[in-house]
Amino acid sequence: MFIEIKGIKKSFGSGESRADVLKGIDIGIDKGEFCVLLGPSGSGKSTLLNIIGGIDSADEGYISINGEKTADMNEKALTMYRRKHLGYIFQMYNLIPNLNIKENVEVGAYLSDNPLDVDDILKTLGLYEHRHKLPNQLSGGQQQRTAIGRAIVKNPDILLCDEPTGALDYNTSKEILQLIETVNQKYNSTIIMVTHNDAIKNMADKVIKLRDGVIRKQYVNQTKVAAADLDW
Amino acid sequence: MRNPLSRRIWREIKGETGKYVVIFVFMLALIGVASGFFVADVSLKEAYDNSFEKYNIEDGNFKVAQVPDGEVIKAIEEENKLKLYNNFYSMQESVGGSRIRFFVDRKEVNKVCVLEGELPKNSGEVALDRLYMKSNELELDGDVEIGGKEYKIVGIVALPDYSGMYENNTDFMFDTEKFGVGIAVQEDYDKFCETNIHYSYSWKYDSAPADRLGKEAIDRATDISKALSQKVQLLDYIPGCINNAINFAGNDVGHDKIMMMVMLYMLIVIIAFVFAVTTGNTIVKEANVIGTLRASGYTKGELIRHYMAAPIIVLLVACVVGNILGYTVFKEFMADAYLGSYSFVSYTTVWNPEAFIYTTIIPLILLSLINFIMLARKLSLSPLKFLRRDLKRHQRKKAFKLKTSIGIMKRFRLRVIFQNIPGYITIFAGIFFSSVILLFCLLFNPLLDQLREDTLNNMIAQHQYVLKAPVPTQNEKAEKYAVTDLETTGRDFTEEIAVYGFVPSSRYFHEKLGDGKAVISNAYADKYGLEEGDKITLKDKYTEKKYEFKVDGVYTYPGTLAIFTGLDDFNEIFEKSEDNFSGYLCDEELDDIDQRAIAAHITKDDLTKTTRQLKRSMGNMMSVFLVVGVAVIVLVVFMLAKVIIEKNSQSISMTKILGYNKREIGGIYIHTTTIVTLVSIVACLPITSFALDKIWRVMMMEYSGWIAPDIPLSAYITTVILAAASYLVTTFFLKMRINKIPLDEALKNVE
Repeated sequence: MFIEIKGIKKSFGSGESRADVLKGIDIGIDKGEFCVLLGPSGSGKSTLLNIIGGIDSADEGYISINGEKTADMNEKALTMYRRKHLGYIFQMYNLIPNLNIKENVEVGAYLSDNPLDVDDILKTLGLYEHRHKLPNQLSGGQQQRTAIGRAIVKNPDILLCDEPTGALDYNTSKEILQLIETVNQKYNSTIIMVTHNDAIKNMADKVIKLRDGVIRKQYVNQTKVAAADLDW
Repeated sequence: MRNPLSRRIWREIKGETGKYVVIFVFMLALIGVASGFFVADVSLKEAYDNSFEKYNIEDGNFKVAQVPDGEVIKAIEEENKLKLYNNFYSMQESVGGSRIRFFVDRKEVNKVCVLEGELPKNSGEVALDRLYMKSNELELDGDVEIGGKEYKIVGIVALPDYSGMYENNTDFMFDTEKFGVGIAVQEDYDKFCETNIHYSYSWKYDSAPADRLGKEAIDRATDISKALSQKVQLLDYIPGCINNAINFAGNDVGHDKIMMMVMLYMLIVIIAFVFAVTTGNTIVKEANVIGTLRASGYTKGELIRHYMAAPIIVLLVACVVGNILGYTVFKEFMADAYLGSYSFVSYTTVWNPEAFIYTTIIPLILLSLINFIMLARKLSLSPLKFLRRDLKRHQRKKAFKLKTSIGIMKRFRLRVIFQNIPGYITIFAGIFFSSVILLFCLLFNPLLDQLREDTLNNMIAQHQYVLKAPVPTQNEKAEKYAVTDLETTGRDFTEEIAVYGFVPSSRYFHEKLGDGKAVISNAYADKYGLEEGDKITLKDKYTEKKYEFKVDGVYTYPGTLAIFTGLDDFNEIFEKSEDNFSGYLCDEELDDIDQRAIAAHITKDDLTKTTRQLKRSMGNMMSVFLVVGVAVIVLVVFMLAKVIIEKNSQSISMTKILGYNKREIGGIYIHTTTIVTLVSIVACLPITSFALDKIWRVMMMEYSGWIAPDIPLSAYITTVILAAASYLVTTFFLKMRINKIPLDEALKNVE
């Protein structure tokens, strides 16, 4: 198992205001698998993603990536882990406003010893002609594509997507999902996507449904459909 | 691969042009002035030190009543292993009642340095000292009246044995306005000498002591004094080691270095804090990006380096350009401060590695350190906190409770104040520092005026004569007194304390003396914190013999550090004969004493020389400091108030959308800063006053004499007005800033 998530528990606050966000999560994800974490707001899916990404820590349990437990890593090692293995896509694109599109993608490439070609990525993402523009000159979809470019250019083993289409309209969302699908297929990246859009589960290899901090349902999708054929 | 983040550094600077240009210009001026000061300091000191060899400055001089014959001169030279040089001069009256000491060109010793023009070649031409000309507004190729006759000034010169314009070595202070030196051709000089000639001889040792101011030099001077007094009738005797005209300027150069360094580093620290606060604001603005970068694997170190880059680049460029300006423009300006007081020979700019360390390395270290600490602290938060924009280390669970009876606008303002406490603390620190500078500049002239007035009001007598030998006077109002100088003990810096002996029931000294009673001047008591009952130990400058005095009272005599005893006690303490005395005190001029017997005649004019000269010397410097003080207030308040506005740009935009007008918005965001700034200005005054009192006392401990730091009310009022006016300038720019915030700013985070 490429990613092993075992007995993860997480709570916030203390005393009466204590909220148990994750109450013991066990998941296994194979290399190159496309995994979707589904659930309503407050189900704990983003917290789980953050723990996988090493930007939050679990109270109990562990996450092992290719045999390495993140709980054993200090801050420096966690940074190196993120640098080497992870790509992040957020709902808000978080692009650097005074770097142009190409430079924003290069910010990701810089982190990798073996980055993908920036121009190729920009062409794949349909951003090549916009490469000299600043983020605020692009639409939301184009900005999110740039964020995807920044995440995938370093050729990460794992791509973590936190509601990547949350701020986008239907057509743009589909475009983005197609891109993520392409990344998954072309680069064999393991993708973990958090969403509350139920339709997206249909393009995943594995679907995990969370509610109130526990896994309500976990299954391998036998009837996978292409992103282009999704509808909601 | 080069870090792509580095590409945004230049854009960051361009995007915040106003902020960086203002800070750059301020830093540039600061580094330039400091560098210019250090370079001028070292260059002048080097020129001064080299002048001893280059211009063959004498090892001492003496004046005699009559020219000794050749045999005597030869004997003096042989016995004392030295060579004598004729250095006769004539004193002539000139403009405004000033006196010029005229020499002919000196070919062997104390050689003349021609700064501009040339030495006189023909009768009717003279070359005069640069500083004397400046003080009396004389010009090259212009005319000057000397002894009732017009002469053409053909040269501006510096005489290396008169770098300090001391007419007499016993003068309290040099005087560049009333005393000068000059060179005339032999023919004119001879004419001058018909009415007035002084037989002065300079000497050079065959083998000079290694340290020209050291003990060996003093011992040798003492031996020569004894030997000379057996061969000639000495009118004056000034060995090089105690010659103020030669030594004073050299000792003073470099004296203000510490003050300049303290000012430079305090300002750099203030600027570093301004950068820290503004960068902190950028971090808040870019929290999402930072969170993303950290989540993507960028290290804390990479981000710290990135955010430190712009301030460091700005400072580095300011250092480089500032140093270039320091070596060119500001050096001249700063040298002028010294050249306004001392008549230095020509100097060349000397590369000063210390100046580079002081003005480049240390400021860079200070700025980097302060910014590093701030950034390391801010960026130590987890990536998640940045992504959530949760940047408070200790999250306040509830907002400050404010009574609802307080109007909403007042509550709004209070919230803005609570939100920006770190910024306001920095504003307070900036205002405090500026107030110290402003108050320092503003108290300088009133203090000197006060000292002058106090000195004149408390003169012991209108005329104070110091005699070379005891001669009688028929004036019944004249009163004998004795005086000598001792030195302080117990510190590295020694200074002279005048010890006076007055007749017990003196008509001039209004306190009864005698029976071993010793009273000290209030200046001495104030400077050294002495009180009645304290014991003072002083020593003889040459013999190191120690003397102890018990303070029996304090007498109002400002400006001079002195001990007053009865004349009999004085003679007993210093083992003098019972009838010994040094001169006369009198409210009338004594016209029955042979002028040759008078070593010094101290009048009002002499007692106010110090204040007059200090005003002349320090006037320019005070103006520079005043501008610096105002600039610091404008810079610090503007930069930090701008941060407050930027931080609240979305709220400001929202208030605009809601329909608040400009005045109301200004009332919330500018008036809060106005309140804090004005409260800071007033609240700073007592702290500033306390700090300045301490700084002044520490500073004055390094100088001879005493000027009490009694800050006049007018200085406080002017400081408040200046500081408030400086702030008003910034409000104009702040209002412009608020007006520029677009209405759609509030919608940006809805993306």
